[in-house]
Amino acid sequence: MDADSDVALDILITNVVCVFRTRCHLNLRKIALEGANVIYKRDVGKVLMKLRKPRITATIWSSGKIICTGATSEEEAKFGARRLARSLQKLGFQVIFTDFKVVNVLAVCNMPFEIRLPEFTKNNRPHASYEPELHPAVCYRIKSLRATLQIFSTGSITVTGNLLCYCCGQIYPFVFESR
Amino acid sequence: MAGINPVPKLYKSIIEDVIEGVRDLFTEEGIEEHVLNDLKQLWETKVLQSKATEDFFGNSIHSPLFTLQFPHTLHPTLQSTASLVIPANRTVPGFTTAELGISNPSASFTFPGYPIYVPAGVTFQTASGHLYKVNVPVMVAQTSGRPSVLQHPVQVFPQLGQPSVIQGSVPLLSPWCLPATPEKAPRMEAVFQQPTVLHSVPVDRKHLDSATSGVFVPPGREHGSLPEALLSQHGNSPCVQGPGVGFHSRGSPVDSHVEPVLSVPARVTPHLRGGPVSACPQGTLLHPVTDAQPHLPRHCRYGGDSANRPGEAAEPSSLPVSKENSNSRVDLTNQLTDDDINEIIQVDGTVDTSSNEEIGNIKDSEENEFLEIIDAGELKVLEEEADSISNEDSTANSSDNEGSQADIVEEDPLNSGDDVSEQDVPDLFDTDNVIVCQYDKIHRNKNKWKFYLKDGVMCFGGRDYVFAKAIGDAEW
Repeated sequence: MDADSDVALDILITNVVCVFRTRCHLNLRKIALEGANVIYKRDVGKVLMKLRKPRITATIWSSGKIICTGATSEEEAKFGARRLARSLQKLGFQVIFTDFKVVNVLAVCNMPFEIRLPEFTKNNRPHASYEPELHPAVCYRIKSLRATLQIFSTGSITVTGNLLCYCCGQIYPFVFESR
Repeated sequence: MAGINPVPKLYKSIIEDVIEGVRDLFTEEGIEEHVLNDLKQLWETKVLQSKATEDFFGNSIHSPLFTLQFPHTLHPTLQSTASLVIPANRTVPGFTTAELGISNPSASFTFPGYPIYVPAGVTFQTASGHLYKVNVPVMVAQTSGRPSVLQHPVQVFPQLGQPSVIQGSVPLLSPWCLPATPEKAPRMEAVFQQPTVLHSVPVDRKHLDSATSGVFVPPGREHGSLPEALLSQHGNSPCVQGPGVGFHSRGSPVDSHVEPVLSVPARVTPHLRGGPVSACPQGTLLHPVTDAQPHLPRHCRYGGDSANRPGEAAEPSSLPVSKENSNSRVDLTNQLTDDDINEIIQVDGTVDTSSNEEIGNIKDSEENEFLEIIDAGELKVLEEEADSISNEDSTANSSDNEGSQADIVEEDPLNSGDDVSEQDVPDLFDTDNVIVCQYDKIHRNKNKWKFYLKDGVMCFGGRDYVFAKAIGDAEW
């Protein structure tokens, strides 16, 4: 009922997706041959480069657009992205780190109670959609925040989007009603 | 039975094929034959020395431990032959009778660098597990046992830079001649400097056969009588002579000799079957050959004549002849299982499944549609490295983050170098362990990789392994 309860909740960020541009054309073949820890997917025209330190997988296109996934925090994502750009620079490309943007953050949150989904859905008609035959969770979309929450009957909630904490906080009251 | 290492043979065959293939081109260009042969020699030498194949034989060379079982009845024999144990110029006895252990029923010793004399009736076991029962006093030498293309012996010597070796081998052919003539002495030294692997006897026999036209010794002949006869023929030869017939399994000091040796016995095998049985009523198991005996005297005689000629004359004639699987001399009695002796080295694991790779047999395929180079060493290193993460970078970077946030919208200079420090463990790649192969499938699940490889060569620890299929698992 109260936002205070939020404090007790653990929100774990499991994934951060970000993108950035290098503003230069990248020769994928060269990256594939000379780079370390790369997977070349020639059929789709991508190179995957995996980093260890921030556990990150980056998808690199020849246009210079890079999508970086797997980080556990926004900061780490940025850090990893820079690292990646650095390694590309070392390979000889004139890389400029621009347009860094966090695209998506995936977090998991666990409610200490179970949730009755049909009831919840009824109460939150416009936002919640529930198709038990398709997926066991209620899909709750917050348009203003462009976030999507998947609410399971066990009480665990998966949130994807930006500004997650706020989302969680927002949803709590509604969920609490239907526990 | 452990698999015989296929790699050296494979490489040899590859060399053969290539050389034959370009022979025409060479002649077209007007280049002389010997140039091609030189090339071939150089190539072979390099391959053999490259450790890629040498190691296969290296093990046996480095620590050939022989365990000898002496029947007690040998005592008197040993006594008399004590002085004969030492071949060639070596003054240090390989083992004395005392050591031999008339007192001990068995003794084990490491093969000295020179051939040793093993009296009859001894059973010995090599490090690789081969069991040899010696019915007749034997000279046991250690050779590389490497199969090699037969080359004209004359050519071989200088090219391989071991001229003395081959020449030395001649005297080795007959135990009598070991210390041989003074001319041979220097050569003998050279020979003995080269560790060699136990070599099949039939080879010698063959050589002797071809070399000598003559002495026919009925298989049934007594061992004891033979040496007497032979001895009488070479009274003046300062060779090591023993009461028993000494045949000697000479390792061909030169690689080039080995292959003909190897191939010959194989071919000769069918012929010999009859012989051995009759010759050794005792029912020897494997090896020692008494056949060589009859020819030894003849050979010795040749050897005594002049320094090089006999050896070389014998060699060239013997080799080509043997190669052709010529004579008869089928009467020769026993026969060794050649390959067993020739390649004492055993490389297990043709079907070994280790956690990483499987090794199979295959000839290199020449259609290289897709070659992939994988660092085998990297796989292991990758696993180990997983945990070594330092946090210095993140702290450094956070400060950088604050500074650069203002610039996010605009170009964000990767001032980089400083902040985003080097990836730790930058070079897992400094390994020499390489696999060159084709792949069937490479699969990844999260950080677990599975490799299904085919038709490749792996260079691991300096040694080459050839495989038709290889399956691997790795964690990144």
